[in-house]
Amino acid sequence: MKKLKKIIILFIVTILISACQQEDTPIATDIKTDLTMGYTTEPEGLDPHRTAAASTFAVTNNIYDTLVGVKSNWEIEPRLAEEWVISDDGMEITFSLRDDVYFHNGRKMVSKDVEYSFNRLKDAESPRARDYENIVKIEILNDYEIKFTTANLDVDLLQSFAYPWAAVVPEEAESNLKTQPVGTGAFTLKEWLPQQHLILEKNENYYGNEINLTTVKLILIPDATSMMAGFQVGDLDIIPLTGDQVTMVEGNENYQVLSEPMNAVQIMSLNTNNQYLSNEKVRQAMAMAINKDEVIEASMFGYGAKIGSHLPPTSPDYYDANNIIEYNPDKAKELLEEAGYKDGFTIDMSLPKNYQLHVDAGQVIADQLSRIGIDVNIQIVEWGTWLSEVYGAKNFDSTVVGHTGRLDSYAFLSRYRSDSQDYISLTSGEIDQLLENAIKELDENKRKEIYKEIQIILANKLPAIYLQTPHTMFALQKDVGGMEIFPIDIYDFKEVYFIE
Amino acid sequence: MLTYVLSRIKSSIVVLFVVSVITFFVLMIIPGNPAQLILGTDATAEMVADLTESMGLNKPLYQQYLGWLLDLLKLDMGTSYVYGEEVTRLIIRSIPVTISISIFAMAIAVFIAFIFGTIAAIKKNSIIDYFSRSIMQLGVAIPSFWIGMVFIVYFGMKLRIFPVSGYVPINENFLNSLKSIILPSVVLAIGELGTLLRIVRSSMLDSLKQDYMDMAKVKGLSAGKIYIKYALRGALTAPLTIIGMQFAKLAGGTVVVETIFALPGLGRLVLTAVEHRDIILLQGLVMFITASVIFITLIVDILIMFINPRIKSFQQGEL
Repeated sequence: MKKLKKIIILFIVTILISACQQEDTPIATDIKTDLTMGYTTEPEGLDPHRTAAASTFAVTNNIYDTLVGVKSNWEIEPRLAEEWVISDDGMEITFSLRDDVYFHNGRKMVSKDVEYSFNRLKDAESPRARDYENIVKIEILNDYEIKFTTANLDVDLLQSFAYPWAAVVPEEAESNLKTQPVGTGAFTLKEWLPQQHLILEKNENYYGNEINLTTVKLILIPDATSMMAGFQVGDLDIIPLTGDQVTMVEGNENYQVLSEPMNAVQIMSLNTNNQYLSNEKVRQAMAMAINKDEVIEASMFGYGAKIGSHLPPTSPDYYDANNIIEYNPDKAKELLEEAGYKDGFTIDMSLPKNYQLHVDAGQVIADQLSRIGIDVNIQIVEWGTWLSEVYGAKNFDSTVVGHTGRLDSYAFLSRYRSDSQDYISLTSGEIDQLLENAIKELDENKRKEIYKEIQIILANKLPAIYLQTPHTMFALQKDVGGMEIFPIDIYDFKEVYFIE
Repeated sequence: MLTYVLSRIKSSIVVLFVVSVITFFVLMIIPGNPAQLILGTDATAEMVADLTESMGLNKPLYQQYLGWLLDLLKLDMGTSYVYGEEVTRLIIRSIPVTISISIFAMAIAVFIAFIFGTIAAIKKNSIIDYFSRSIMQLGVAIPSFWIGMVFIVYFGMKLRIFPVSGYVPINENFLNSLKSIILPSVVLAIGELGTLLRIVRSSMLDSLKQDYMDMAKVKGLSAGKIYIKYALRGALTAPLTIIGMQFAKLAGGTVVVETIFALPGLGRLVLTAVEHRDIILLQGLVMFITASVIFITLIVDILIMFINPRIKSFQQGEL
């Protein structure tokens, strides 16, 4: 007993001493160069050609480079390619590569690596293979020049080289890229401890401008409240912010809030094969019965932009279709009666559990629809189930989900082609020809007109009800600068710096 | 004695085998095709079919099972899809976290439960008894995510004596490592305390009513000796079984606490595997956790046999 007592006392004393110990505060005269950032979702490996997970690309964009990059204002900028020439017919693109680029393993990057990488991106194991099947020939002109030839004219060809999955990798490191990535990017991977953290280290041989940060430590904190706690005590320099947390940091002079509309749309997809939903009037009545402002308030705490069609307001081709069908519950009831459903009906709604914003939105919508007599049975399903049941098997009545991250409008809208076999499509085929024209139209203004027409058709026909473009938000300590939000799901740490 | 242990080990192996069959087939038939999940919302049906084939998911189930079982016997659980690392390595890395908070939490819970439970039983209906009965209620009623948050806000943010989240390995810095597991352990301890306290109190009450207690009193032994040597020893069986079960539960991962405190333990690994449909990782984890639970139960049973003379003699009588 005595011994036990001693042990306990010793233990308590140890804890107390450790608790009272002051953390060593380094006498910092220099500017900080080590950034810590919180993140919530583990990357699915660090091989850019073998996953479709946004959590992977957010990180890998700093390790690998693409031929061209995209700026926060959607402009395409040179990256590995110094310049490029598109042939007059638009079917060929020739890139001139930089001659001062080295992989992290010290080997110089040449056009053979670009060829290898795109073949790897197009092979059977690559989730993005379909996006690049239009590229039918890759020709090495010399060590620093490479030409891509397409089968069909695609006016958005250049954009497809800016996505983070179109990264250039060295063949010799191919088999272990998932855990030991080797790229040409501004940072190298120092350490990835699953479930804990991922540390990036400045690439001393980087070809671009001097990088300000020495290390970037990404710390995995799955719980948003714990994340905020870590930010408020100063352990974290940058954290992703959820709508309900904005009030905790906004107006505080120690923090900054970065908030931009995402390049994404949140939609309520409708199965037009359903006996009720096949009726256009029913779909319009539903759209009229949904108060999108309420949906945005409930799912994003107001941090979202209302949309009326399938393009986000940030897109260069965006047309404001919000007033085509406006919120009007009385008229919605009339329209439903006109369609022959005076007493309403019942439909199912599958909501993906992992995405709280879609679940929240779906619940508000269910309530709003019940007011015009449409009963909605909510089923909250796991993402895996959602993908195989709703997306794959098209076994659903309605769902709320987001579509995200594309730089060209065609990629956003092509799922509505009547022959797309997508889970939502406009089977009546009104926009098939328009899409066909859009992708072949070299004149930018004419192209915009076509996309406008498509957006108007979608806003009227409503194969889905268009809800909002949610915002991406970050909270930053006041001494962090240079962090930007891009139209694709990436982080770019090479421009980030600390202010004195 | 040895025969008993051997027969227990034999039955454990049978249980493990049955679990392996169930685990494999249940995970295979749950909705959600891993190939579809990897490819996401841009995939065509063709691409899903191709990847399903290259992942070997289109082979007959029994063939897949046999292949998996053979690898398992060689302690090869395959490579995780999400991490691209061997499942065994991932599990080995998570064990220290989960085990250390489990042991720590159980130590706290056992310590408090035995002190208060014993006193509460001896001094029935006293203030201490009422106090410990309130603890029982609270321990069961307070959700761990809530108390976890309160601790983070108070001890982490306000007093700043503990880190708000994260885990420091023990070989990196002992003090910081201790600090990083104290809050989660206390939260877990609170959750387990209620049940344990109730069991200790009721077994102790039961034990106090036994004839040998009167005997001891008549013999004129000191109160301390009576309560600790006679009453408490007789009252150990039930709490020990519960402690074993609770420890096994904690060792199998504590998803909520690990999530709140961002600890890289087994529970979180299970959650990640489920969310990403990393079937290979999930199968490995389920097998590992089942094996640990079976092992812990086995140890507890053997321990009880040593502590409680009645069971030992019963077993020996049977031989």
